[in-house]
Amino acid sequence: MIATALKWSRHNLFGKPFDALLSIIVIPGVLWLIYQSLDWALTKAQWDIIPQSLRVLMIGIFPADQAWRAWTAVIIIAALLGAGLGCVFAFRSRHAGFLALVWAAAAVLTGTSDLINLLFMAAAVAVFAGGWAVTSYIPASRRALMAASFIGLIAIFAVMSPPGVGLWGGLLLSILLTLVTAIVSLPIGILLAFGRRSRFSSVRIICTAYIEVMRSVPLILVVYWIWILMPVLAPQWNLADVARGMIGFTLFYSAYVAEYVRSGLQAVPRGQTEAARSLGMSEFDINRSIVLPQAIRVVVPPLVGNVLDIFNTAPLVFIIGLTDFLRAGQMILANPQYGDRTYEVYSFLFLTYFLVGSLITYVARKLEAHLARGSR
Amino acid sequence: MTIDRTDARAFASESDMLASKRRRNRFRHDAIQVAIIAAAVALVALFAYAVKEGLARHGIQFSFSFLWDAAGFDISEGKTLVFDNGLWPSLTSFTADRTIAQAFVTGIVNTIKVAVLAIILSTVLGTLLGVGRLSTNWVVRNLSFWCVEFVRNTPLLIQLVFWYFAVVLHFPPLAAAAKFYGVVISQQGLYFPSPVWHGGSSPFAVAMAVACCAAILGLILNGRAKIRWICAGAAVVLLGVMLATGTLGLDYPVTSRFQASGGTSMSPEMAALLLAIVVNSASYIAEIVRGSIDALPKGQWEAAASLGLSRRNTVNDIILPQVFRVVLPSFGNQYISLTKNTALGIAIGYPELFNIYGTIANQTGHSLEGIVIVMVSYLVLSWVISGLVAWADRRLTKRGAAR
Repeated sequence: MIATALKWSRHNLFGKPFDALLSIIVIPGVLWLIYQSLDWALTKAQWDIIPQSLRVLMIGIFPADQAWRAWTAVIIIAALLGAGLGCVFAFRSRHAGFLALVWAAAAVLTGTSDLINLLFMAAAVAVFAGGWAVTSYIPASRRALMAASFIGLIAIFAVMSPPGVGLWGGLLLSILLTLVTAIVSLPIGILLAFGRRSRFSSVRIICTAYIEVMRSVPLILVVYWIWILMPVLAPQWNLADVARGMIGFTLFYSAYVAEYVRSGLQAVPRGQTEAARSLGMSEFDINRSIVLPQAIRVVVPPLVGNVLDIFNTAPLVFIIGLTDFLRAGQMILANPQYGDRTYEVYSFLFLTYFLVGSLITYVARKLEAHLARGSR
Repeated sequence: MTIDRTDARAFASESDMLASKRRRNRFRHDAIQVAIIAAAVALVALFAYAVKEGLARHGIQFSFSFLWDAAGFDISEGKTLVFDNGLWPSLTSFTADRTIAQAFVTGIVNTIKVAVLAIILSTVLGTLLGVGRLSTNWVVRNLSFWCVEFVRNTPLLIQLVFWYFAVVLHFPPLAAAAKFYGVVISQQGLYFPSPVWHGGSSPFAVAMAVACCAAILGLILNGRAKIRWICAGAAVVLLGVMLATGTLGLDYPVTSRFQASGGTSMSPEMAALLLAIVVNSASYIAEIVRGSIDALPKGQWEAAASLGLSRRNTVNDIILPQVFRVVLPSFGNQYISLTKNTALGIAIGYPELFNIYGTIANQTGHSLEGIVIVMVSYLVLSWVISGLVAWADRRLTKRGAAR
């Protein structure tokens, strides 16, 4: 045992003089850092602030007695995510146990003792598994996914709106914003990508200009501009801040989606188009049923990465006064009673963001490997 | 005979038909083009009309003349271009009596300041991290991996806010500031020693300074290794002589209880923004570097080894030139996105372009004209960066081997 450890460390830590030097400098520093953080996290930190303010972090100032609406939205989101997962990874019975474990972990970590919350959580996990199973066992259902996503989004809006759209907040707002942007920017991005290689030079120029301009200005600007422009352009609509934020995000990310899709379109061999044309298919049919499916297949991993980008830039909605997850955390810290809990709250925020982000990255990597295996 | 004739007639009519079909198609194509252009123009006109109407309701007129009004607000830090003495502009601190155009310039200068520093620092740090991810040392490899992974999977904004509220604002106050070799680190900002010119206009000192600048330029611009070594040596010697003779001095910051004077200062906002952007961008650059070193065929290492090249020569002459070629366009994209990310400075009150635009829009109500200016500024910044990267790319291609 000790012999193997010594052999391992000689090989991996002290293999060369330079490595040995690095090890001598770095290892004590890392150990000291780990000791300090553990010491702080286990003895000094007052974690009770997290369960106390969990509701604000999750749904912002959404009224507590309307929480069932938020839970319904979570359940719809879970169904959509599960259905999306099922398109690529087949559901197996062993996954059910794993999901049950996830539910138990979520229940313990959030420290909730409320029966209703536990039930809602269980429902979300069950619906996730259901969506996953449906799309993995019934291939025909995958075609309906895009339509189902739009219906799901409309349902979420319908359920969440009555208490007031201005009350949306917390992690739920970040996730909703990400979801809406990811789903709506996909068809727009596809249209822009086709527009950029259209036969008509005018369409080409317009689409290229749109994509390039959007890609060279910061997102925060686009969001802010849409926010101030909407009331000027359409005062009678009186759009809520949340909706204006979503429009800004969608307009911005459509340009990025368009570039990813375009790279996918370029990856489709010319022979595919030529073969379809020689069969007498119309241009529209060629693009819809020959080129696009192959292109989308290639760009699924970068598009999932794009979802991570959207989620990671969602906090920028602070500029239009929305209370997303990060802003909710800052709101808690603004309370003088909790003024000294800066590190606790930020640790929780960082950890949550890191967990969600790693999950998305993991799925993207898995997808990449999965698709690489599937292609010749 | 008759058959031939009918054949010929059929052929002629078919070619006629093809020609007319082509004409029809071309006409349809043109008609659609015109229709699209007309629709686009109509859309833009409608947009402009709606904006004009909307602004008129608020009693604002779309015009750029507000740019020459006095600003009437202060900016916490930053220089602007001033044309006080003749045509040659000079950089002076912004004050409330300057024009709004000069306020915009202050924002652009502040943005460029952070962007240039961040580009240099994040390239260095990112390359180190990227090489660290391929280290043979287990601890270094995993440490780099988790740092990169953590930074890439969390939002930049929370990193920025964390750096500002939880790190920079928790630095010691100025009275108890940490000092390293003249660098002062405190809540009120960072202070560095800065070079000062004591030589006046004596011809000898000026000649030395010019020669030193020429040597540094040669070091950057000349392609040949021998000349670069000579230039570097000359620059170091000249700098040493100037420091020794006192023509060039170092101005150390002097701290009192509440303020510091002398040297160069960096506000806490800028320090936090710089830290956040450098660390964030460095992890993306690390991924680019790692990816392109990984992507190099193993045969390159093996071929170099079989030629008897030392490891240093292999890395310097075989691996790095190829990596640079592959990496440059991705670096360019990263630099552009880094420059755009400086707009987050508004979250902690750093007066970059977007922050100043917000102030101007609030003060004057001319938010739409401001949009045009800000958009054009960012477009130009992006173009400049991609132009510079393309230039560097061309230079490296010329020097290096064919692709």
